[in-house]
Amino acid sequence: MSITQVDMPLPAARVRPWARWTGAALLALVLAFALLAPVIFPADPLRQSLRHILAAPDAASPLGYDHLGRSLTARLASALRLSLMIAAAAVASSALLGVAVGVLAAWRGGWVDRAASLVADAFLALPGLLLVLIVSAIVPVTPLAFWIGLTLVLWIEYFRLTRATVSRLLAAPGVQASRLLGFGPFYIFRRHLWPELAPMLLTLGAFGAATAIMMIAALGFVSVGMRPPTPELGLMMVELLPYYREAPMALVIPVAATFVTLLGLNLVAKGGRA
Amino acid sequence: MSELLKATDVSVHAGAEMLVEPVSLALTAGRPFTLLGETGSGKSLLAQAIIGTLPAGLAAAGQVTLAGRALDLARRDGHRALWGRLIGVLPQEPWLSLDPLMPARAQIAEGHAFVRGLSWAEANAAADRDLAGLGLQEAADRRPDQLSGGMAQRVAFAAARAGGARIVVADEPTKGLDIGRRDEVTRLLLDEVAAGGALLTITHDLGVARRLGGELAVMLKGRVVERGPAAEVLAHPRHDYTRRLIAADPASWPQVPPRPGTGAPVLRAEGLSVSRGGRRLFDGLGLDLQPGEIVGIWGPSGCGKSTLGDVLLGLARPDQGRVTRGAGLAPQRFQKLYQDPPSAFPRCLALGRALDDLVRLHRLDGARIPQLMSRLRLSPALLARRPAEVSGGELQRLALLRLLLLDPVFLFADEPTSRLDLITQAEVTGLLTEVARETGMALLIVSHDPELLSRSADRVISLASPETAGPRLRHQAA
Repeated sequence: MSITQVDMPLPAARVRPWARWTGAALLALVLAFALLAPVIFPADPLRQSLRHILAAPDAASPLGYDHLGRSLTARLASALRLSLMIAAAAVASSALLGVAVGVLAAWRGGWVDRAASLVADAFLALPGLLLVLIVSAIVPVTPLAFWIGLTLVLWIEYFRLTRATVSRLLAAPGVQASRLLGFGPFYIFRRHLWPELAPMLLTLGAFGAATAIMMIAALGFVSVGMRPPTPELGLMMVELLPYYREAPMALVIPVAATFVTLLGLNLVAKGGRA
Repeated sequence: MSELLKATDVSVHAGAEMLVEPVSLALTAGRPFTLLGETGSGKSLLAQAIIGTLPAGLAAAGQVTLAGRALDLARRDGHRALWGRLIGVLPQEPWLSLDPLMPARAQIAEGHAFVRGLSWAEANAAADRDLAGLGLQEAADRRPDQLSGGMAQRVAFAAARAGGARIVVADEPTKGLDIGRRDEVTRLLLDEVAAGGALLTITHDLGVARRLGGELAVMLKGRVVERGPAAEVLAHPRHDYTRRLIAADPASWPQVPPRPGTGAPVLRAEGLSVSRGGRRLFDGLGLDLQPGEIVGIWGPSGCGKSTLGDVLLGLARPDQGRVTRGAGLAPQRFQKLYQDPPSAFPRCLALGRALDDLVRLHRLDGARIPQLMSRLRLSPALLARRPAEVSGGELQRLALLRLLLLDPVFLFADEPTSRLDLITQAEVTGLLTEVARETGMALLIVSHDPELLSRSADRVISLASPETAGPRLRHQAA
């Protein structure tokens, strides 16, 4: 509709930075707890104590104790560190892989592009959880298996977005002008492609981390992920589920921690799209 | 002559800021009214305020009287009932506003059926009559992608009028059209006026304003600076801005004598043939470009003007023929100036940084930048800004500056001024030709405006196919 076109500057569309800041604050809170809890409340997350079975919070563990008398403070902090670390590693490696293959496919075109798209489509055809399960059946160390599996799930998004963005940019006059001026591929990536890709990568990264944490917890919850007694969010939920009558707070703790983390990540992603 | 629409003290505000100062105007049957102005002059906003389609965030004030009803523009609710029945809008670039999946007849019949309340059989019959009246009988069953630009324009015109509207508002009806199509659209609008309708045209094109005649209002920065009968305003402009506008029209540029180039050619093309999409664009084209020579390329849209430049620069491959460059010339001395200036720079980079990058890459003398900036009448403050924060004319001169740092021997300017306003177009074209003369750079300039080419180029090559007769050009067989 061209009649709505305006030939005068309009006030800029209102952006909502609060979403991004709230999200970042929530994530900082989760991260601070995961890192500082072992310093302030030192306890072995694996140490059992019959005296403390489902005990109420005390000075040594402000979040109370689980059904084996282990410190929930130490277990939650350890579980969060594990999930966040795997998620961060998976996001970093999938971004690297996806952006590299995406740029290559868009740049070279032809059979490179077709082959990369074919591989991406093949991975896309597999449900993400199944892919992570298959990898964990092959790779013996569970965190390593999660990392590899999640990378294989997450890189496709990066690949598709990078390829679409980069092929549009490469066809634009700006890149042609830079080539005519004598600039090489590295300059074109740094000045033309990267500034357009970077904001998108942050949004994708936040979503990807949320997906990763969900998957780790989901597989733990159905007992095919991390093995007990490792503290892990999903595993903690399923272990504490039978005691929901006696110790509802103990069950709420891992659920709330997962919720706050995912909310924070989604708010960061949302702020990035505004 | 009956008055069909009367607008009193119409103004547009964005918050406290006044974008269009109060204007009163009247549209009478049989007499066109034209609003002439540059991008950003507020001419479209004024028209949108009158017909009630201002975008959200902007407010209008004033009063519009039509069909015996007075509408207060500060309220947004009165207009809907008038759209289609009394006021029809002819959009810019109509191929974008037609439904891409609907045949032409149905696009028009919808207006007859929904707005006038005819049965579908009657509506289709009426649409067929409309199409026949515009010479489009054979296009009734075609989708917009099967129509030419001019045909799409006529279908959009018929659709805009299907509801029985006697007042047509045309917003930049000739934007993006070449000369032939432009005249066709103007004729269409004039036919409507001759049949007793009222017409409000918004344009930046002096040629359109001249051909439409009637009443003319010239807008500048949200104000009407001059108004009166079109012939009189254009022949004896009183306001300084109108004078500059008329002087900037290529038709009134001084005619410079052609100057043949001298020396060994910097670029030679022999027997070039190129096809795109199964259509032969040109065949056996040969071209020699000598230093300091300015060659114009003219042709209707889609005739392969840009493709020819890309082939000459080695950016595209010809089907046959070859392009040879002068011996010993560095590849970066063959350059291109783009149609859309902002798209030729890295979007997120300050312009000064982009220039510094170039200076570092080729180990150029950075001290030449300030010299060139004053030569091209550019303010140094521009270097701190990003491409989107600089006006089109300034950005095009900055693009020229960036090229001049490399001492180009050949420059392909691909419609370098088609997105610029008239006054800026005159300035940029003048600079381009001056630079070519001074530095001995061969300039190949593409335009759809034959006047511009015949007044700035030494010779003009027409790429029009023989069956579409081009306008008279200072032509040299290529």
